[in-house]
Amino acid sequence: MFLQQLINGIIIGASYALIALGLNLIWSITDIPDFSQGGIYVITAYVAYFAVKLAGFPFVLSLLLAMVVGAAMAFCIERFLYRRFTGHGRIQLLCAIALFFLLSNLAILFWTAKTKIFPSYLPGGLTLFGLMVSYQRIVVLVVALALFVAVYLFIMRTKIGKAIRAASQDREAAEVVGINISTVNSAVFMIGGALSATAAILISPLYSVFPTMGDLPLLKSLVVVILGGFGSVAGVLIGGLGLGIVESLGGVYISAAYQHGFTFFVLILVLLFFPKGLFGRV
Amino acid sequence: MTDTVLTKKQRQKRTRTRNLIIIAVVLALLAILPQVTSDYITYVAVLAIIYAILTGSYDLTTGYTGPLTFCHGAFYGIGAYASALLTLKAGFPFWVAFPLSGIMVFIFAAIIGYPGLRLQGHYFAVTTFFFGHFIYLVILNSVSLTNGPMGLRNIPPPEGFLGITFTSLNSSYYLIFIFGVIAVAFLYFLVNSGIGKILISIRENEELSQAIGVNTALYKVLAFSIGAGIAGLAGSLFAHFFRLLHPTTFAWMTSEMVVIMALVGGLGTLIGPIIGAGIVTLILELMRFAPEFRFIIWSVALIAVLIIEPRGLMGLVRRIQGGKK
Repeated sequence: MFLQQLINGIIIGASYALIALGLNLIWSITDIPDFSQGGIYVITAYVAYFAVKLAGFPFVLSLLLAMVVGAAMAFCIERFLYRRFTGHGRIQLLCAIALFFLLSNLAILFWTAKTKIFPSYLPGGLTLFGLMVSYQRIVVLVVALALFVAVYLFIMRTKIGKAIRAASQDREAAEVVGINISTVNSAVFMIGGALSATAAILISPLYSVFPTMGDLPLLKSLVVVILGGFGSVAGVLIGGLGLGIVESLGGVYISAAYQHGFTFFVLILVLLFFPKGLFGRV
Repeated sequence: MTDTVLTKKQRQKRTRTRNLIIIAVVLALLAILPQVTSDYITYVAVLAIIYAILTGSYDLTTGYTGPLTFCHGAFYGIGAYASALLTLKAGFPFWVAFPLSGIMVFIFAAIIGYPGLRLQGHYFAVTTFFFGHFIYLVILNSVSLTNGPMGLRNIPPPEGFLGITFTSLNSSYYLIFIFGVIAVAFLYFLVNSGIGKILISIRENEELSQAIGVNTALYKVLAFSIGAGIAGLAGSLFAHFFRLLHPTTFAWMTSEMVVIMALVGGLGTLIGPIIGAGIVTLILELMRFAPEFRFIIWSVALIAVLIIEPRGLMGLVRRIQGGKK
């Protein structure tokens, strides 16, 4: 039981960490807590669902399609909305929240509130310590870790990555030395959109697709960003996994009804004692 | 020089008289409303007044003092449930439960606001968003106390006195109307008092305000808690007027609705959010036939307001009047 919940916590935590990684990049560079990622999460889940169900795409292809759609949505949102409000943080935040509500309610309008079952793409499972863990769950973890490594390498090794790091440290100085901030913005938003889409598609086969599916992952990953602190890839990973585990174990051993409330307690406690996050730089 | 000053003064005086006349006319219209219209419109008016109190109190926190919050619907909900439970389970009369619910929400908000308002940047806004959802979960899941998703029923109406009873629609309309006037007047005098000026100074430049000796942390918590307390009172009115409560009434959509009402009218103007509350309530009722469009249109409206005029209707009015600040 304990082990089962631990594994569940790690899997769900890995999905939070994926969304949080994108949110963290976006937040640290543009100072926007990008709630619209929660909407992208929902819409891309439906895109992948229909790609598999109606067009008969294989899972990997629909995942890639969803990532492209997610990146394109995030790109457009940044390019055509947030960029208008550069320098007006409150307006950007309000706009992000409005977009989140808009996208998840569009999902209700287009596809009704009814839950859609995402077809299983990989039957079977692995027996670990006498415990059956389905391959689909393992895939979540493996893909999440792979993407973390990929994003880390991208930020550390490529030229755009270097520009992103510079911009996250000091936006104005980066601009002064000739870094194209608008490219950096587009890059982080596209990464964010693709990561949110990935998290959604990896989780959908386990928890199905419905219009409010983005609410809790969004809130949890925002908390992960706050816990992990800005600009810390490791902080996001540890924060995400930790939150997943706390929530999963708390749901079983303390109270199932308040499973999602624990996140709030964790957040308040951390903010009380570490107002700058656990691994925070800013 | 003296000339321009005089004309400015005269102009101010004229605007003030004009505003007073508008206010008097609106109050008079609201006062005769239940006598001349159908019950349905009276219900809508009650809702509009409750939302006006709610949005006005939100303006105190966010419009005048600065921090963006997304949990006003939660305070509204706590007030509603506290008041309903105090009358239903503890047997308190409404006249005791009503102020108590406001005080409880005030204390609650102070507990949240004290650590929360120290946070920099968008941290606090995100935290309040989460807090709002957390309260919704508590209301939904504490089945033994709040009856969970089944909601609360048979909440007693306010007890009558001096031969007036509040069981009929019209008499309770007047009760809520009077509370609405008191709440708005209180907010008006608060934001125009010395305290209001301190709050505005915090909004405009917190560091400078601190530098001239203002205990900004204290005033921020105070504004946040008073705003929340009034929202709690509005919740109590809602509970005892409609006599049934459901958790979804206080889900985060309510918080978003408050934000939209305030923005449509124009944050930091008090009158703007109240007008915004009226307009949005009206739109809400007109759209009763298509509830699934409601949030979509709100969200689009919010984005449109942000693009066209982030200062809302009051900003538009000012712009039309010739770009005066």
